[in-house]
Amino acid sequence: MASALEHVAWEQCLVEPHPDRALESYARRRWGVPSPAIRYFVPVPWMARAVIDLHPELGLLMHLDQDVADLVALVVSQENSCRFCYAAVRAMLWVQGMSTGRIQRVEQDLTRLDLPPRTVAAIAFGRSQSRSGPPAARAAREALHRAGFGPDEMKEIAFTVAITDFSNRAHSIPAIPSRPLERMPDQLRYRLFRPLINRILKRHRFRGRATPPLDYTSSTPYASLVKACGGSPIAPALTRTLEEMWASPHLTRRCKLLMLAVIARGLACEVCAREVGEALQREGLKEAALTQVLTHLDAPELDPVERVLVPFARETIWFEPAPMQRRARALRDRLSSPQILEAIGVAALANGLCRMGAMVLDHP
Amino acid sequence: MTRTAVVAAMLVLLAVLGIALHRQRRRTAGLQAQLDAAAAELQHLQEACSRLAPAGVVQRLIADGVAPGTEAAAERKVVTALFADLVGYTAMSERLEPAVLARVLNGYFQRMSDAIHEHRGHVSTFLGDGILAYFGALQPNPWQCNDAVRAALAMRAAMSEYNVELAREGLPPLAVGIGIHRGPGLAGLVGSRERMEYAFVGRTVNLAARVQSLTRTHQVDILVTEALRAELDSRFVLAPMPAESVKGIAEPVVTYAVREALA
Repeated sequence: MASALEHVAWEQCLVEPHPDRALESYARRRWGVPSPAIRYFVPVPWMARAVIDLHPELGLLMHLDQDVADLVALVVSQENSCRFCYAAVRAMLWVQGMSTGRIQRVEQDLTRLDLPPRTVAAIAFGRSQSRSGPPAARAAREALHRAGFGPDEMKEIAFTVAITDFSNRAHSIPAIPSRPLERMPDQLRYRLFRPLINRILKRHRFRGRATPPLDYTSSTPYASLVKACGGSPIAPALTRTLEEMWASPHLTRRCKLLMLAVIARGLACEVCAREVGEALQREGLKEAALTQVLTHLDAPELDPVERVLVPFARETIWFEPAPMQRRARALRDRLSSPQILEAIGVAALANGLCRMGAMVLDHP
Repeated sequence: MTRTAVVAAMLVLLAVLGIALHRQRRRTAGLQAQLDAAAAELQHLQEACSRLAPAGVVQRLIADGVAPGTEAAAERKVVTALFADLVGYTAMSERLEPAVLARVLNGYFQRMSDAIHEHRGHVSTFLGDGILAYFGALQPNPWQCNDAVRAALAMRAAMSEYNVELAREGLPPLAVGIGIHRGPGLAGLVGSRERMEYAFVGRTVNLAARVQSLTRTHQVDILVTEALRAELDSRFVLAPMPAESVKGIAEPVVTYAVREALA
C-alpha cells in the first residue's frame, strides 16, 4: 500500500533494539498486540512506557469522539512527516477493515474540506500546532469553540495533538524502522489474521473514566498543565510519565530543564519559559547564565553534555525528519546511547506539552 | 394473468434498476479514476512547485489555504535578511560558453542554498547571480542572527571548496559578497493577480542589499549591520568598518566584517 510519506527520507535507525520481556509483555497487555517499536526504547524505560501509556485510544479520552481523535493523529503525523506513526495509523485503519483504496480516499478527503465542520476545525488545530506552535493557539482555539467543541473536548484535542507530536519525535528522530508497518497490508499472514487482530485491538480500546481529583503539589514545569487536566485520566497518565522522566538517571535534572527552556523559547511560550526558568534557578543556575543560554544556546556554566544537548533541543522544535535525524546521529560520538535516547524523549515530551499548554492554559 | 403481469413488471423493474445500478457504478468508477488522476496530478504539481519555491513556503501557502483571487494574511515580523552576490560575474559571463556558465552558476546556487538551508534559512529568490534569503520569516526563530552569520560562514567555506573543483576544470574562481541585516518588515503573499510570491517587504531587505554592495568597498566577503551585531553571540570575531553612505539611507551605515566563529 503506497503511503503518502514513502518519499520521506528515513535514515538507518540510530539505536539498537534490545529485547525486554517485561516491557514487551506490558505493551502486549495494554495494546493486545506486540509493539514493533518498544524494544528500541528499552534503555530508557520511562520513554517506552510513555509510548504505550499515553496512547489516546487506551482509556484516556472521555469526551472527544474517537474517530475525530484518529483523524487528528493521522493529520499531525502527516504534517510532521513521521513515517513510523503515519504507517502505524494507516495500519490501524487497515486492520479495522478499511480497504487500502478507502484509506487513500480518506487521505485525499483530509486535503479537501468536505468533512464535518467539527472535524475540519479539529484537524486545523492539529495542523496549526505542528506548523506555528503556541502563537497560533488562540485563533485555533476560537475556531474550535465556534465549531461547537466544549472545554473538555478541546483539552482532549490538545492532548491528542501533544501526544502525537511526542510520538512523532520519539519515533522520527531515532528513525525507528517504519517498513514493517508500511508493508503490513501486503503480507499474507496479516491479511489472513486481520479480523482476529481487529477483534483483539477492539477489546483493548476503551473510553476513559473520570479519575479522583489529583493531589499534585509538584512545582516542576508542566505541573499547572497536569492540574488543569484534573478529573480526566490524562492527568494521572501525564503525572506518571513526568515523574519517571525527572527520576531517570541518564541526564541530569538541570540538563533536562535546560532543554525544556530552549524549546519553550523556540516556541515563544512565555508561561512554560517562566516555569522552567524558576525551576532552573532552584537548581542553582543564575539568571544571567540562563539568559546567555537562551540567547546563544551556550554559556560557560554548562557542562559538556549540556553544551551538546542545548543546541540539539532547538533542532527538535520544527519538524524536518532528515535534518533532525542527521543532527541526532552527530551526537553519537559524544553521548551514550541511553543519553541520546533520553534527550530525544525529553525534547519530544517538551514539544508536545508546550503546545498543549498553549491550548489548555491559554498561554500567550 | 395478473400474477404473471406483476412478476413481469417486477422483472422489468429489476432489470431497469440493475441497468441503473450498473451505470451508476460505472459512473462512480469513472469519477474515482478522475479523482485518482487529479490527486496524482496534484502530487506532481506539488513536487514541481517545491522546486520553484522553498518547501516551507509551499507548505505555508497550503496551510493558509490561499485560493486564487484571495489574499493571504500578511504579518509584521522581525526577520534577518541575507543578500549574497557574485563578485566579477559580468566579466566571467562574457568569457564562458553559455552552457558552461549555466553549469557553474547552478553549482554555485546549489552550494549556497544548501549552506543557507542547513542553518535554518530559506532562499526567497535568485536575482540574476544574487541570492536573497531570510531567517525567521516562515517560523519563529529567536536565534535567527546567529543562524544567518553561521550560514554566511558556511557559504564562505562552500565557496572555497567549489573553487578547488572549478580550478581542476581550468575555470576561473568565484567570489561572493554577503550582506546581513535584521529588522522589521511585512511578510506574506505579494504581487499581482497573475503572479504572486511569498515575500518579506521593507527597509530591512534594501539595507541588506546595500550592505552587500559595501563588501566591494571594504574588500571583505561578509558584512553585518550594527543592528545584527547587537544580537550576535560574542564568539563571532568581528572587525568594525568605517561608516559609509549608501543609496536610499540618510545616515552613514556602520558595518562589521565577520572574520570567524570561535568554538
